[in-house]
Amino acid sequence: MRVRDVNKVELVKQKAIELLVELGFEGFTMNKLAKACKISVATLYIYYQDKDDLILKIGMEEVTRMSNVMLEDFDPECSFAEGLRQQWKNRSKCMLDNPVSVQMIEQLRSSTYQEKVFEVFGDTFKVPLGKFMENAVKRGEIDPLPLESYWSVAFGPLYSLIRFHNEGRSLSGKPFVLTDEVLWKAFDLVLKGLSK
Amino acid sequence: MEMNFEHILLFKTTIKTEADKHFIAGVMQARQIEQWTVDLQDIDCVLRIVSPTLQTTEVIAFISENGYLCEVLT
Repeated sequence: MRVRDVNKVELVKQKAIELLVELGFEGFTMNKLAKACKISVATLYIYYQDKDDLILKIGMEEVTRMSNVMLEDFDPECSFAEGLRQQWKNRSKCMLDNPVSVQMIEQLRSSTYQEKVFEVFGDTFKVPLGKFMENAVKRGEIDPLPLESYWSVAFGPLYSLIRFHNEGRSLSGKPFVLTDEVLWKAFDLVLKGLSK
Repeated sequence: MEMNFEHILLFKTTIKTEADKHFIAGVMQARQIEQWTVDLQDIDCVLRIVSPTLQTTEVIAFISENGYLCEVLT
């Protein structure tokens, strides 16, 4: 029996994410992936049933991994300011460290794989973030508001800044690099806007 | 789920369309082969079967008998 080679599986995952971003889901093929990994196509089919299965499995694994990183050291019981700061810290680090994965997840968001992949995000975040918001409302730190409004105000600015950074330019093509100063200044405004 | 990789049989075929796949589904059912997939999006239309008992030669024989090319994927 052949042993599942962990390094090879990781290489396949990493190259698949790169190629999916470079070629799009349409242009991506098992042959191209096999070539990029210097392995046979048959090896890929041992791990995955077909192209759909590969995209779905790798996408879901990456979403799970990123979600867990985003929740590291986050305690839903802590104060609103502290919790939101930790969320910003985790999310920015995760997205700045994994720009290619962020792009792939964006592609998944607008594809037929959307539903299955985003169940994973929902399942991971629903309980801790729901609890966190509920606690903040209970303690009178923020006003009750729909989750979507809360999310948009809490993270919208962060996601815009990170997109500018990962694309290397902001509005009208102006070069942009995200600094700690810019990031935390925006955070202070968000905190001020949400706090009672 | 861990599986025995020796039970995975892979073939390059000419099972290209949904209609071809539908036809092959009937062939598989008649032979009580349950764990199989064809990658219609792939240039080699890879047929993947998980079975502890089937031999590659058997698969090549019954797929070919039904009018499709079938060879071991390397």
